[in-house]
Amino acid sequence: MQITLNQQVISCSSVQTLQELLQQHKISTDGVAVALNNTVIARRLWPEVTLNSGDDVQLFQIVTGG
Amino acid sequence: MLTIADHTFSSRLFLGTGKFASAAQMQQAIQASGTELVTLAIKRLQLGKPQDDLLTPLRQSGIKLLPNTSGAKTAREAIFAAELAREALQTNWLKLEIHPDPRYLMPDPIETLAAAETLVKQGFVVLPYCSADPVLCKRLEDAGCAAVMPLGAAIGSNQGLQTLAMLQIIIEQSRIPVIVDAGIGAPSHAALALETGAAAVLVNTAIATAINPVTMADAFRQAVQAGSQAYQAGLTSSSSLSAASSPLTCFLEAL
Repeated sequence: MQITLNQQVISCSSVQTLQELLQQHKISTDGVAVALNNTVIARRLWPEVTLNSGDDVQLFQIVTGG
Repeated sequence: MLTIADHTFSSRLFLGTGKFASAAQMQQAIQASGTELVTLAIKRLQLGKPQDDLLTPLRQSGIKLLPNTSGAKTAREAIFAAELAREALQTNWLKLEIHPDPRYLMPDPIETLAAAETLVKQGFVVLPYCSADPVLCKRLEDAGCAAVMPLGAAIGSNQGLQTLAMLQIIIEQSRIPVIVDAGIGAPSHAALALETGAAAVLVNTAIATAINPVTMADAFRQAVQAGSQAYQAGLTSSSSLSAASSPLTCFLEAL
């Protein structure tokens, strides 16, 4: 199936959950937030929320700022 | 001691983490400043680019992390950014900032108040960056904000307390801590804010872009401490006439 990850269309056949998607892309979890179809997903739900074809996943990270 | 929501701070200097030349320099400046709270921002993650480990040393130092909503132009965007920040840092503390115009980065008071009302209801500890408007600051207080952060001057402008007369009214009226944010360009500006009764100041550009940021951080630490001490000691009133400090006893008239 195909999903959009930070505005890039990617194929992910084996990926099932948000957690697995992050692990696949070697994204550390501290300082990272995830929105699925423009809804922020709480971290505790990452292992439970499964991805569907056409989903729009956006990843955000904490950076320096004033 | 300064208390915001349920948290007590012994330092009245808060630091922004932007614009430092390196993470190591930022860490050294944080240490030299004695701060117990730093601000952070959030942005879209760049896939395939290694993530800098910004947070581990900050978490190890035990200081409070305050994410902001910089980049938000509306209340709706700020609420989305707030939810992201809460998940990213696992904190409900938030520096709410909404500035639609990049030229002056002036905070939008209407969107800020609307966002603050919603975010407080959602359980956030909201510290809004706002105009130095006494009425707006009271409205933000009534909305349940934990502090207000009125500006001294435009963000990054180093112009000092251009809004001093309004800040004095805000401080006099406020029942929540008043943190002067933005525009503080020199330790003397920070000292003046504290002497005026501000609970704290937030400084970023003046320290991060100094020729020697670590020494500047130490200078700000001392200025904030001096300003706070002077406020507590009680400044005497000023007068347009002189008042002699030595006795005027006319003892030289015999000459």
